[in-house]
Amino acid sequence: MAALIEARDLTKKYGAHVALDRANLNIEAGRIVGLIGPNGAGKTSALRAILGLTNYEGHLTVLGREPFRDRTELMNECCFIADVAVLPSWLRVDQAIDFVAGVHPRFRRDRAVAFLAKTQVTGKRRMRELSKGMKTQVHLALTMAIDAKLLVLDEPTLGLDILARRAFYDALVNDYMDETRTILITTHQVEEVENLLTDIIFIDKGRIVMDTSLEDVATRFAAVAVTADRLDAARAEKPFYERHILGKVVLYFENADLGKLGSLGEIHTPSVSDLFVAKLSGAAA
Amino acid sequence: MNKGMNNSTWLIRREFWENRAIWMIPAAFGGLLLLAALFTQVSIPRLTSQQSEQAAPAFLVVVGAMFYLVMALYSAWYLLDCLHTDRKDRSILFWKSLPVSDANSVLCKLLVGMIIVPLVYFAAADATALIAAFILSIRARASIGSSLWNGNVWWQIQVLWMYVIVTTAVWYLPVAGWLMLLSAWAKRAVILWAILPPLLLNIFERLFFGTHMVSQIIGRRLTALPSVSFNGLGANYRWTQEGGVVDNAGSSAPSVWHLINPSGFFSSAETWIGAAVGIALIVLAIQLRMRRSEI
Repeated sequence: MAALIEARDLTKKYGAHVALDRANLNIEAGRIVGLIGPNGAGKTSALRAILGLTNYEGHLTVLGREPFRDRTELMNECCFIADVAVLPSWLRVDQAIDFVAGVHPRFRRDRAVAFLAKTQVTGKRRMRELSKGMKTQVHLALTMAIDAKLLVLDEPTLGLDILARRAFYDALVNDYMDETRTILITTHQVEEVENLLTDIIFIDKGRIVMDTSLEDVATRFAAVAVTADRLDAARAEKPFYERHILGKVVLYFENADLGKLGSLGEIHTPSVSDLFVAKLSGAAA
Repeated sequence: MNKGMNNSTWLIRREFWENRAIWMIPAAFGGLLLLAALFTQVSIPRLTSQQSEQAAPAFLVVVGAMFYLVMALYSAWYLLDCLHTDRKDRSILFWKSLPVSDANSVLCKLLVGMIIVPLVYFAAADATALIAAFILSIRARASIGSSLWNGNVWWQIQVLWMYVIVTTAVWYLPVAGWLMLLSAWAKRAVILWAILPPLLLNIFERLFFGTHMVSQIIGRRLTALPSVSFNGLGANYRWTQEGGVVDNAGSSAPSVWHLINPSGFFSSAETWIGAAVGIALIVLAIQLRMRRSEI
């Protein structure tokens, strides 16, 4: 299937600072992709470029379009939530629905109204009167009522409490996601999204460090906890990262011989957050 | 209806939702004038019908001019603010998630600031003048109220307003463009950014060249509209003591057509050079709007 987002040598500079350094991306339809990286890694710059909010160097197509040049057309098929707090304080809920219904050809008003009917939010309320959780619900209602092929979320749950965060992701997976859609999401909170992702992309210092599907993680990566006496034997297998916990050492391997590792200690598949730490610390070492 | 038109009507509606001051300020200002008409001491001398025919247009013009001044201040503030607030509160990220082009958004804000706001003030001025004239003519037993309906004074004032709105929009386009450019560009202190560069440029010019080009150009742009868009009263007409306009023979000026100078205004190179500068600044503002998002 043709790639939904394709980037080659995508570069974004702010003066002397290089936010994106020849990044390559290939995201296919029907996936839930997590773009994960530390602060200042270039996550937001990548999303800005993909959404046509900024110009860039290199090749980039999203849904077959050049985002910066064709942002208006792109937004017919793509929607994004960049942090939920961005609905303006003066806007009333019914005005928000009217406006989006007025300008967006793929907006289904009945869906937005049905979604909001399940919440405490009423039409005449202004955004400034709503709690952050309620604003999230309004924004979600607006976004999920759009028949979009691509949904981009940039730190969508920043500043939300744990109940609102959970509700956000539940609604996303249960009410929105289906095989025709693609979701690209950035977050700090890897633990929170790792169960819903199908693909992960690690980004650091403007470069893509890793790009893999979660199915591949199990075959590609292994973590082995070894005791001190077997450490040298394990190190011979070229781990890319070591972590010392409670007298044991956990070593992380990529494309290693699992049979050999099995003889050294207990093998498990690293979680996304462990892998993230391992990959980024390993790269820095 | 095509998509651009459809989006524009929604964008304009949006401006009214966000900036309720667009109608609240002229409504409040009109209300104040009416209160003044109701409760202040007035001593309008008993006028002959000819005198009141002369006073009526002057009355309408004065009310209109007061609204025009408030409108000019509000419009300038609106244009300076309109591309800045949604960057400040980050709601630009919401607006940009919708299929509306940046050019469309910027041009609608320009249209609101330069045409729609003046139209709202014009309607408010009309309503206020009518009610005030009615109140005053009852209180003073003068016939200003009724003389507003005499002849075609009323229609002449409407024509005058439309003419003033159009010429103001064209003449002040470079000012509007400058304000919008800064609104799209500045991270904070938009007012300072709007005022400081021309001021510094002016001081710099005085210090190093001893000339006053910058202040002359800016000063003329800000103040010369009346002299470009209106005929001088000079040779053929003069103001009367009551504020009316009469010709040299002493009979009242037959119409507003003697006052306005559209052919002069629209054939002046100054008008179109200014408009070209304004368009260039607005194109720049659109380009900035495409590249800059939240602050």
